Amino acid sequence: MSVKHLKTLGWYLFLTGIGYVFLFPLLFMLVSSLKPEQAIFADLYSIRAILPVGELSLDNYRQVFEKSNVSLYFWNSLFITVGTVIMGLFVNSLLAFTLSRMSWRGQKLVLAVVIALMIIPLEAIVVPLLLLASKLPSIGWEGGMLVLKSSWLNTLHVQMLPFVANSFFIFLFYQFFRDIPKDFDEAAELDGATPFQIYRHIIVPMSGPVFATVAILHFLLMWNQYIWPIMAVQGEDARPLMPGIQIFFGRQSSWGEIMAYASLVTLPVLAVFLMFQKKFVTSLAGAGIKG
Amino acid sequence: MADLKLTQVIKRFGDLETIHGIDLDIKDGEFVVFVGPSGCGKSTLLRMIAGLEEITDGDIHIDNECVTRVPASKRGVAMVFQSYALYPHMTVRENMGFGLKMAKVSKHEITRRVDEAAQILQLGPLLDRKPKALSGGQRQRVAIGRTIVRNPKVFLFDEPLSNLDAELRVKMRVEIAKLHGELRNTMIYVTHDQTEAMTLADKIVVLRSGNVEQVGSPLELYLNPANDFVAGFIGSPQMNFINCEVLAVTADMLRLRFPCGLETDMPAMTANVKAGDNLKLGIRPEHVLEDASGELVICVDVDVVEHLGGSTFVYADYAGDISMTLQVGGLSDINGKDKREISFNRHYCHLFNEAGKSIGLRKDALELKAAEKMLPMAG
Amino acid sequence: MEPKSVTRLQPDIQEQKPRRRYVFLMSTPALLGLFMFLVIPFFMAVGMSFTDQRLLSPNETSWVGLRNYDRLLNVSGMVQEPVRDEAGQLVLDGDGQVEYPRLRTLLRSDPAMADYKLFSSWDLGEKRYIVLAKDPHFIQSFINTLLFVLLVVPLQCGLALALALLINRQLRGIFLYRTVFFSPVVTSIVVVSIVWSFLYHKDLGLFNHYLQAMSFGLIGPIDWLGDPAWSMPSIVIMSAWQAAGVQMLIFLAGLQGISPDLYEAADLDGAGPWSKFWHITLPGLRNTVVFVVISTTIQAFGLFTQVDVMTQGGPQGSTSTVMYHAVTKGFREQDIAYGSAISVIFFLVILGIALFQKRLFDSKGDK
Ligand SMILES: Nc1ncnc2c1ncn2[C@@H]1O[C@H](COP(=O)(O)OP(=O)(O)OP(=O)(O)O)[C@@H](O)[C@H]1O
Ligand SMILES: [Mg+2]
Repeated sequence: MSVKHLKTLGWYLFLTGIGYVFLFPLLFMLVSSLKPEQAIFADLYSIRAILPVGELSLDNYRQVFEKSNVSLYFWNSLFITVGTVIMGLFVNSLLAFTLSRMSWRGQKLVLAVVIALMIIPLEAIVVPLLLLASKLPSIGWEGGMLVLKSSWLNTLHVQMLPFVANSFFIFLFYQFFRDIPKDFDEAAELDGATPFQIYRHIIVPMSGPVFATVAILHFLLMWNQYIWPIMAVQGEDARPLMPGIQIFFGRQSSWGEIMAYASLVTLPVLAVFLMFQKKFVTSLAGAGIKG
Repeated sequence: MADLKLTQVIKRFGDLETIHGIDLDIKDGEFVVFVGPSGCGKSTLLRMIAGLEEITDGDIHIDNECVTRVPASKRGVAMVFQSYALYPHMTVRENMGFGLKMAKVSKHEITRRVDEAAQILQLGPLLDRKPKALSGGQRQRVAIGRTIVRNPKVFLFDEPLSNLDAELRVKMRVEIAKLHGELRNTMIYVTHDQTEAMTLADKIVVLRSGNVEQVGSPLELYLNPANDFVAGFIGSPQMNFINCEVLAVTADMLRLRFPCGLETDMPAMTANVKAGDNLKLGIRPEHVLEDASGELVICVDVDVVEHLGGSTFVYADYAGDISMTLQVGGLSDINGKDKREISFNRHYCHLFNEAGKSIGLRKDALELKAAEKMLPMAG
Repeated sequence: MEPKSVTRLQPDIQEQKPRRRYVFLMSTPALLGLFMFLVIPFFMAVGMSFTDQRLLSPNETSWVGLRNYDRLLNVSGMVQEPVRDEAGQLVLDGDGQVEYPRLRTLLRSDPAMADYKLFSSWDLGEKRYIVLAKDPHFIQSFINTLLFVLLVVPLQCGLALALALLINRQLRGIFLYRTVFFSPVVTSIVVVSIVWSFLYHKDLGLFNHYLQAMSFGLIGPIDWLGDPAWSMPSIVIMSAWQAAGVQMLIFLAGLQGISPDLYEAADLDGAGPWSKFWHITLPGLRNTVVFVVISTTIQAFGLFTQVDVMTQGGPQGSTSTVMYHAVTKGFREQDIAYGSAISVIFFLVILGIALFQKRLFDSKGDK
C-alpha cells in the first residue's frame, strides 16, 4: 500500500470514529427497544450496545401500546403535521406569489413587514398566544354532537392554525418566485390565464424544489412541536406524540419501553429522511444560505 | 386580420416619460418592423399594443375598436417573446394548447388546432417533447406555433431571433417571411438588427428615444432617409458622413467646400440654407468608387482592407479625422496603407442640414437606375 | 392630431378591479394568519405586560404600570454586620460560625424591602454582602441562559465548521458520513433528551463508565444532570451534538462557494494548510459565519425543551432558563401578564443581540 492509500484509510477511520459518536445514541435507542431490560444493561459497555444481538422481541413495543395511547397520539401528530404543511404550502406560496409576481399598492410595505416578522421567535409569543387561544370560540364534536366550545384549547386545530402562515417560508417562496423570468407570466396572461391560473398552471409546476424545501422544513417543525402542545393541550384527545413521550418518560417507565416509544416517534421521520435524504440535505443548506 | 391604429400613445414609468406620443397606422396584413437603438422604447411600445403594459395616455384601436382598456387576452393579439417563454413543465403540445385550454375550448378542438399549426411549422414529431429537449431553432418554432394556434388578429414579435446563432437566424427569418406570406396576418416585429428589418418589413418604423423618426418601406428609408439618424441606422455598413461648408446658395444648388478643400456644386432644397452653414454630406459605402472615375474625387489614407471574397470592405481616413468605409468589388486591388483617390457621384449623395434634417433631393429607384447607366461606375 | 384637453382617469378601472380582487384573495389567508397568530400575540404580550392578566381569573384585569418589569428586573444589595452581644463580642452559632441577623425577619420588617428575596450572598472579612432581587429565579434563569448561549454557540458552530471541513473532500461514500452527522437533526430534541438522560445517568450511564475506565477510576462518577455545576454543561454538549448538522450543511454550502482557483493560487504561492484556512477559507465563509452565529444565538436563547425533559430547571435552579421561567409563570402558574413581561424582555434581548452581532460583523468587514 502506498502512502496515499494509507492516508485515505486514515481519513476513513477518523470519519468513522466521529460518525460513531453521532450515530451511537440513535442506534442504541433502536437496538435497546428490542431488548429486555437486563440485556440492555448487560450489553451497555460493549459494542453489543448497538448491535441487535441476543434475545430480541417486540415486547417493549407491546407494553408501550398498552400503557400509553400511542396510536392516538401518533394519528394526532400525523394529522396536525400533514394538515398544517399542506395548508402552509398553499397559503404561504400564494402570498409570496402576489409579493413577487404581481404589483399592487402597499406591496413593498407588506414584504418589509413579512421579513421583519422573521425575527420574532415562537417562544416570544407562546404566552399571549395561549391567552388568545383560550378566548377564541370554536365548533367541535363531542359525543357525536356538534357543540360550540368557548376556547380553542385542547383541540387539534389550535395546534395547526397558528402555524400555517410562516414568514420564513413566505420569504423562501418569495426568493424562488422572484427569480423566475416574468415572460412566463406575460405569455400566460396573453393566453388568457387569470393570476390564479398563472399561479396554478405556470408558477407552481416550475417551483418543485422550493415546495419540497418548505414542505420538509415545515414537516420537521410541526412534527417536533413541543412547547406549544404542552401548554395548549391538557387532555388526551388532542395530544400529539412529543408531549406523549415526555409524560411516559416522566412516569419512570422501564428503559426498554422508553426506547421503544422513542423509536416509534423517530422512525417515521427517519424513514422520510432516508428516502429523501439528498433533497433534505440540499434544501436545508439552501434555505440556510439564502435566509 | 386587422388594422391597427395608435393615437398619441404615451408611456410614463412614474415621472419618467419613455414614449412621447406616437401616432401610427398599420394596415391589415402588413408586416411592420420597429427598429431603433437599445432603450429607445421598441419593446415598451409593443407591450402596450399587447396589453402587457398600461397605456398612460392615448388610444390604441384594433379593427376600429378601442382596446386601450381591454385586457391583454381579449385583444386578439399573440406574442412571441425574446426568451420564447415556453413553459418548461409542459410538452410542446401542452404549450401550444395552453391558451385554448384557458379559453375553455374543447379538448378535441385543441388537438385539431395544435395539429394544424404543427403542420404549418413542421413540428409534428416534436409535439410530445418538453422544451428542454428541443434545439434553439425548434423552440423558436414552437413559440411561433403557440401564437398561430390562437389565430390572433395581430402577431407581435419581440426580437424573436436574437437568441439564435447567425446561420439559424437567417433560416428563421426566411421562415417567418414565408409564414407571413401564408397567413397574411398583421404582424409587428421588434428588432435592432436592421438587416432583419430590411428583409422582412412591408413598413419600417424607426424609433429614437421614444419618438418615431420615420415610417416607410425599406427602400424608401434607404433612399430617402428623413434625417441623419435614420440614414445612419438603415443600411449596412453605416453611411459615411462628411462635414461640408456652404459657400454659396442658388435656387436649387449649393456650392460646397469639402474638408480637403475640394469645391463643388450640389443640387438641394436650398430654402433655409445660407452661405457659411455647415452641412453633412452622406454617402453610402456601396456608392463609393475605389478609383477616380466618379464625379467627386477625394484623397484618403487606407487603413484596413477586409477581403470577403464577394466584396471588399475598405476602412480609410479622409482629411485626417473622418473615417470612411468603402464597399467595393471582390477583386479589388486596394492594399492597406495605400494613399489613393476615391470618388462618388452626386446623385448618390445625401445632404443634411445642421439640425440633421434631409435637404437632399428626393431619390427614386428608377431614376437612379437610369442615371447609373449614363455614368461610369465600378463593380 | 389634436391635443388632448381632457385628462383621463389614470388607473384603468375595468382592468384593475379584478386584478386587485385576485391580490386580495391570494394574499389574505397568509396575512390573516400572520396577523392573528404573530402580530396580535406580539402586541398582546407588550400590552399585557403592563397588566395583572391571568389565564383564568374571576377578577377584572387592571393596569399595573411597570410593576411586572420592576418585579423582574429589580436587583438590590445590602451589607450585614455580624450579630454581637452586649459586650460587643461576635455571637457564634453551634458550628462556631459567625452569626448574622436573620435576613427574612430583616426584609419583613422594612416595607420597602418586603418584596425582595435573597439572590446570592458571600462573606468577606466580618461583613456579609448580600444581593437581593424581587424575582431571584428570573435573574438566575437569565444568567443561566446567557451561560448556555456563551457555551453552546462557539461549541456548536465550531463543531459544525470542523465537520464541514472534514467532509468537504473528494472521497467515495462521503455523503454517507454527511447523512450520519446530520441524523441527530431529524431526531426530535425530546427523543434526544430522553436518550441522553440515560447516557448521562450517574450510576448506569455510559459517560461515567468511559470516564472512569479512561481515568482508571480517578475521575467520577459525575452526577451529570444532578450536580448544579455540571447540569448546564451537560445540556450544552447534548444540544451542540444534536443541532450541529444544520450548521454543518450551511458551512458546507459556503465552502463549496469558494472558488477552487483561490486554493490553487495559494498552492503556487507555497501556502500551507493553516495559512490557506486563515487567508482563504475563513474570509470566504464570512457571510456564512455571520448568518450561522446569529441564527444559532437566537435559537439558543429559546432553550426550553431540553430543560423541561431532562431537569425541569433543576437542580437548584441551575438549568432554569428565561423561556422555562416564562412558561412556568405564564402557564403553570397562570400569571399571563408576568409571562408576557418575560417574553417582551426575551424578545428585546434577542433583537439587541442580533443587531449587535450584525453591527460587530459589519464593522469588522469594513476593515
Ligand atoms: N418597468 C420599467 N420601469 C421604468 N423604466 C422602464 C421600464 N421598462 C422600460 N423602461 C425604460 O423605458 C425605455 C424603453 O425601454 P424598452 O425596453 O422599450 O427598450 P427597447 O427599445 O426594447 O430596448 P432593447 O433593444 O434593449 O430591448 C428604457 O429607457 C427603459 O429603461
Ligand atoms: Mg426590448
